[in-house]
Amino acid sequence: MKYNRSIFMLLPLLLAAAPLNAAKPAAPKAPDAPLLGVTAADMPYDVGNALLLRWPVNPADDADASYQVFVSSQENGGWIKAADFAASANKGKDIDLPFWAWNGGAAEHAVKVELADFFGEFKPGTVFGLKVAALRKGKQYAESEPLKASPRGNWFRLDRLNNLLLLIVIVVVFFMAVSHAKRKGLFIRRIAGLDAIDEAIGRATEMGKPIYYCPGIGTMSTISTIASTFILGEVSKKVAQYDSYIKVPHYDPIVMTVCKEVVKQSYLEAGRPDSYREDLNYFVSADQFSYAASVDGMISREKPAACFFMGYFMAESLLLAEVGATTGAIQIAGTDIEHQLPFFFTACDYTLIGEELYAAGAYLSKEPMLMSALKVQDFGKLVVMLAVFFGAIVLAAGTWLHWDSFVQVILNLFKAY
Amino acid sequence: MKEILQKFFKIDRRWIFLLLAIVLFTPIIRPIGLPNKTIARDTRNAYEALDKLPKGSFVLFSLDYDPSTRPELQPQATAVIRHAFRRDLRVGVVTYIAGSTGLIQQIFEKVPGEFKKVNGTDYAIFPYMANPTAVMTQMASDFYGIYDKDQDGKDARSLPVMKGIKSYKDMAMVVNITGTSILDSWVALVGDKYNVPLVAGVTAISQPGYGPYLQTGQLKGLIGGMKGAAEYESLIQEPGKGTSGIDSLNLGHLLVLALILTSNIILLVIRYL
Amino acid sequence: MKLIKKHIPLAIVVVTGLFTVASYYIPNKTSVDYLEMINKWENIVSAFAFLLGLISLFYSHFSKISRRTDGWGYSLFVFIGFAAMVVPAVLMHGKQMEAGQVTSLGWAFRSIYNPLSATMFAVLAFYIVSTAYRSFRIKSGQALVLFVAAFILILGKVPLGQIVWDKALGWTHYGVDQVIEWIMSVPAVAGKRGIMIGISIGTVVTSLKIIFGIERQYMGKD
Repeated sequence: MKYNRSIFMLLPLLLAAAPLNAAKPAAPKAPDAPLLGVTAADMPYDVGNALLLRWPVNPADDADASYQVFVSSQENGGWIKAADFAASANKGKDIDLPFWAWNGGAAEHAVKVELADFFGEFKPGTVFGLKVAALRKGKQYAESEPLKASPRGNWFRLDRLNNLLLLIVIVVVFFMAVSHAKRKGLFIRRIAGLDAIDEAIGRATEMGKPIYYCPGIGTMSTISTIASTFILGEVSKKVAQYDSYIKVPHYDPIVMTVCKEVVKQSYLEAGRPDSYREDLNYFVSADQFSYAASVDGMISREKPAACFFMGYFMAESLLLAEVGATTGAIQIAGTDIEHQLPFFFTACDYTLIGEELYAAGAYLSKEPMLMSALKVQDFGKLVVMLAVFFGAIVLAAGTWLHWDSFVQVILNLFKAY
Repeated sequence: MKEILQKFFKIDRRWIFLLLAIVLFTPIIRPIGLPNKTIARDTRNAYEALDKLPKGSFVLFSLDYDPSTRPELQPQATAVIRHAFRRDLRVGVVTYIAGSTGLIQQIFEKVPGEFKKVNGTDYAIFPYMANPTAVMTQMASDFYGIYDKDQDGKDARSLPVMKGIKSYKDMAMVVNITGTSILDSWVALVGDKYNVPLVAGVTAISQPGYGPYLQTGQLKGLIGGMKGAAEYESLIQEPGKGTSGIDSLNLGHLLVLALILTSNIILLVIRYL
Repeated sequence: MKLIKKHIPLAIVVVTGLFTVASYYIPNKTSVDYLEMINKWENIVSAFAFLLGLISLFYSHFSKISRRTDGWGYSLFVFIGFAAMVVPAVLMHGKQMEAGQVTSLGWAFRSIYNPLSATMFAVLAFYIVSTAYRSFRIKSGQALVLFVAAFILILGKVPLGQIVWDKALGWTHYGVDQVIEWIMSVPAVAGKRGIMIGISIGTVVTSLKIIFGIERQYMGKD
């Protein structure tokens, strides 16, 4: 790396600073002596709006020493102060990049200059001037030669390589599990809450009362809502088979549109397209408590035989479940919002916790392709468990034995940049 | 005896409702003035995080609560904004809950006047936006790409309060006060990604859920519920709505304790005696 | 038909999904612009979706009124409530204050929406208290642990409880707030972390299922 040569520039600086080490009161060296070893380059792994300045640390720098960085977009002059910091700050190791993407250490200064802060939008390829001034007690005693550099947009975040590798491993395992599932069935443990769905729908059919299915207050980008639409598909298929009646009140119009499609499809698959009605799914309110009030009203008036609360729930969880419980409906809930789980536990007959909700679609449909995804989840958990277990041991040992750079490597490996 | 206890065990819940109503109402009508003794570590951290910002720093407030959670969250927001104005910080306000706009209005009708702060110069309120995740991501590159005008239709770029503010890296802190999961998005999409210090205020019911974020420093501080508001008010020494609710809160909690104990004692008696 | 209903939507999902994942690893301006564009589209689509919701809401309540189904009177309130908020909003151009005066929209917000919404959240307190009475019963060893933790937490939340604790357990030199902090930051966080990690993995896998088109129930199967 070309940055490394700056290390060799350390010597002249050391010599230049030598008189300062004497016991005499710090007399500034000849004013405007050149500051050596400064390099300017594009800041790596960014969108292309920053430059990176590096220069070796002056061993003579004490608490009085500071540096200023200047930047200019003009050919001559037009210098703007971009940074002003004590000599103990902005070391190479302070740049938050992992070891595989950055070689800066404590022996050099590294300053990232965000150009957009000073020049707003600029054309790609614009050349900027940079210089560094060294100060002691606020007085400048040395300055670097003006340097030129041009920022450019990079194409890969090398610092996120650890993340990318993990993703690739998960994708590979994912496809292996999928192809394995196609050949061979997979075992999946019993989930009581899902087995109870048949019972709930059967009860509704006997009583001739409707079933309420609340997909919660999430949007289509919430995973629990997506999982909820899968479950809705299976539930409404059974509802159609039993010729029962389902009502799905909605909080989000996009979720409603998706659910309409899902329910319609289920009725088709169950061979009952004639029973499907457009108003099975309907919008109630995009306001959390208006939604709760309205659904509570409907539940207490119509006294459904079964209520499903599957998806994303916040404070309305207990409002809905408690009212459902007082009407005597069988209630099955599922959410991944763990602080709402206690409310569902107390007021519902069955509750699916977090991942069980994700697994529900696969469990109910028994489709091998979907079930294989559960295996990938298990694999992910295994990786995390091993990483946590061994990571904790290795880090504790490393810290205890003062293997600082080793500890740093481990920490870098597991950090999200 | 056991029959009576059994009956008591399955008491109509409306009696409990009535009891709670009495317990909550009484101190509102006739304040008892119970002391607000300790200050939680997380509230103090929130206070200190804001307190040590240099004068003139820009703090973005994301006030995302509607009237439902107003009794808990409005006193928090008012206290933190008071603190920000007192410290001469620049304040920007955004919201992703439509019902919040009126509540923000109510705060800013009153609070800036106390500190002689001027709209546009010392603070700016931006209009409601739907789809928070998209807006949060966008603000990382260009704040004005989303908020080109403030609430009154004035050009946002030319407001003195917005001088030098283009994206998160120009902001000293983001304060999110919410009863929704918008805080999770702030943590994941903004705090972690762009290294912006994040302080939050949440409802008491969702407060326990944010423990992990506090431990990792992803949240610099957390104000929880009305008690948190009262604590913050006592830290800035301006008692407000939060402090006045403490009596009811106290008695309400004690009632819950009493009820849980009663039901368990009854259970013991029925089972073993 | 299969092309329009199945292949094209799936292609859009796969391409958009992969591009969005890739944009996390590509810092270039092109990728930033792409994300910005997708965000804007999402905003526009969700704005239009509200219209869809509104139509659905009106349609379902209008049909209830016209068919005089049970409780059709409640449906009238949908239209009354809508008018009470929307008409002033349109007349006042969305302003709640004008020249220091509260406008009709401001009044509607403060006197209708505010109390209605606050009431619903307040009901929660009543439900929680009654649920606590009915459900918080020590029927097992685990329930006892839960009970003790909850008891300390509630006690510590109230100043009065803190005074009681200091009087009764002051000799231990452990303040109730220290005990609470330990409960909240050790066992509670440990449990929550476990669930969070599980959920995150579930999120990754569900996303992969959608991006690679293995799970496509949301678009109808064929």
